[in-house]
Amino acid sequence: MLEIKNLHVRVEDEDTEILRGIDLAVPKGEVHAIMGPNGSGKSTLSYVIAGKDGYEVTDGSITWDGEDLLALSPDERAARGVFLAFQYPVEIPGVATLTFLRTAVNAVRKARGEKELNTADFMRLVREKAEALGVKQDMLKRGLNVGFSGGEKKRNEILQMALLEPTLCVLDETDSGLDIDALRIVSEGVNTLRGPERAMLVITHYQRLLNYIVPDRVHVLQEGRIVRSGGKELAEELERTGYAEFGEGKAA
Amino acid sequence: MTVQIVKTPAEEALESAFAAMRDGLSGAAGDFAPALRDAAMATFRELGLPGRRVEEWKYTDLRGLLRDVPEPIRASGDTLSETDLYDVLGIDLDEFLAYRIVIADGAFAPELSHFEGTDALFQVLPLSEALANPPDWFREGFGKVNPPERDASLALNTAFMTDGVVIRIADGAKLDRPLHLVFITGSTRRGMVTNRNFISVGEGAAATILETYGARRTPDMLRNAVTEITLGHGAEVEHLKYQNEGRMGLHLSSWMAAIGPGARYRAFQFSIGAGLARNQIFTRFTGEGGEADVSGAFMVWDEQHADTTVVIDHAVPHCKSRALFKGVIDDKARGVVQGKIAVHPGAQKTDANLMAHGLMLSERAEFDAKPELEIYADDVVCGHGATTGELDEDMLFYLRARGLDVNQAQALLTVAFVGEALEKVECAPVREAFVARAAAWLGSDKS
Repeated sequence: MLEIKNLHVRVEDEDTEILRGIDLAVPKGEVHAIMGPNGSGKSTLSYVIAGKDGYEVTDGSITWDGEDLLALSPDERAARGVFLAFQYPVEIPGVATLTFLRTAVNAVRKARGEKELNTADFMRLVREKAEALGVKQDMLKRGLNVGFSGGEKKRNEILQMALLEPTLCVLDETDSGLDIDALRIVSEGVNTLRGPERAMLVITHYQRLLNYIVPDRVHVLQEGRIVRSGGKELAEELERTGYAEFGEGKAA
Repeated sequence: MTVQIVKTPAEEALESAFAAMRDGLSGAAGDFAPALRDAAMATFRELGLPGRRVEEWKYTDLRGLLRDVPEPIRASGDTLSETDLYDVLGIDLDEFLAYRIVIADGAFAPELSHFEGTDALFQVLPLSEALANPPDWFREGFGKVNPPERDASLALNTAFMTDGVVIRIADGAKLDRPLHLVFITGSTRRGMVTNRNFISVGEGAAATILETYGARRTPDMLRNAVTEITLGHGAEVEHLKYQNEGRMGLHLSSWMAAIGPGARYRAFQFSIGAGLARNQIFTRFTGEGGEADVSGAFMVWDEQHADTTVVIDHAVPHCKSRALFKGVIDDKARGVVQGKIAVHPGAQKTDANLMAHGLMLSERAEFDAKPELEIYADDVVCGHGATTGELDEDMLFYLRARGLDVNQAQALLTVAFVGEALEKVECAPVREAFVARAAAWLGSDKS
């Protein structure tokens, strides 16, 4: 279970709090959605779970499987099953996608005490997963995310998720920049990973993605706090009324 | 009024070493070498060791850094084996099928060299023999291939040169294997080694030439190596260098290239060794339609100092040049790239570009880049630029979020950085060896 308690976060060297007391619990086997307007703190929450530098946790805790995530480096979190699908995957020229995938898979396997994959086994695995997500072989030979379209970048994120087999998946605005076909492919990729051992946190601005990845719970994030929680019908309600109806900050 | 500058102990040692050795140096009995050596020594006496006041050496104060000069080594008498060759170089080129010419401790080593059955393609002469009995073509060209004006390190080379490789590649010869020129020092005693090479590439000929330098048994060897190379009409040459000298040593190197009409010259130097390395490359187009790529990479750490100084002379119209240098600098090391593109009057339609990028892996590292354009023609396309930076934080986080630890992530990004330059190498086995070496360097095998 992912447990976030009274989480307060600000950007390092700045006074303004971005997250102002988040409480959230996502049990294994469930998919929770976090919805909120721009600037509500959605991406900050995803970065703090993954361990990005530049944020200061002033109060509260994040635990995964009972372990304090905040005490771990980003790679240690990845080894324990944490995975963030980035809203804006970084382009890294000179690092071939395939080389990166193999390095990542084996780093995580090694850290989990599993045997590293040899080239043949790794290639078989990549080919199988890539095909399911419509990731072409020539993409894998290119520099990591270099020259990829928005949709290709997101499919590449989900491919990494499929290869690394995380147990806690955080998807940050995975729907942004996707056309309807890409959205369907990516959602199917996510849905096949749903399972009793896996918790997922789907962060999105729009309800559209949740037609494809149907959540067990929906939480509305506004001005750094969760202002309302409910079932999947809450997402539909939000789509009709807009975010202004919720929480204290109605003036927005 | 003349100002008398006090000679440093190193300058005095060089002058007295020359006086003592002069009559025993290669070609001393002939009518060719002594005059060249005397003129070069006179130039050196006038110039002295270059220091901060010499613009071309402002980042590499040789006068201040060279405290003393060890005895020149000719043939040390120490025997070297094939195994030594690769141990000393620190790179495994076992699979590298090449014609090999070895200069060990400053003298041609025939027992380690293999280039049988190649007479129709090229002629090889040890420099010592060419100086003693110069063939006409050698006598006419030697020392005249695009020499820099008033360069003390070239003057010292000419004064002290002991041995090296003289190669004449026949017109139209397409070499089926690379020529691998190996310069190693097996001696365990400290010393000064002065190598000089002269390569003439015939019209329409094609060759890959790799020079490798290493001296690990003696960490503070002082080497001065010069290669002159001329490319005839339409010749194609890839000229590569790998430098992994002992880490306390001094490596002074100059390449002088004259590129004939329609010829294609690709130069690349990969430098990881020596305490102080100065790599000079002087390139000149001597006929229209020539193309040159003069690039390189260096990786330095601890207190190493690596200087790459390049001049590309567009002396004639319709030539194209590209230059890309990448340096990885860790600890208190320092990297220098000085690159000048000179477009001479009348050299219209010149297309030239030079870039230098430094990657700092430590806060105490230093990178000095000085790109220069000197343009005396109005219908040209020229560009230059330089950047210095650290590893990108967002890239590091992305990789770490996928499970790579901080060292793995840094190594992957650093290899990617330097890889953009290493990709310039067209000869696949050498390129792969360079990439592997770069990765090993990051894995802490730095010497």
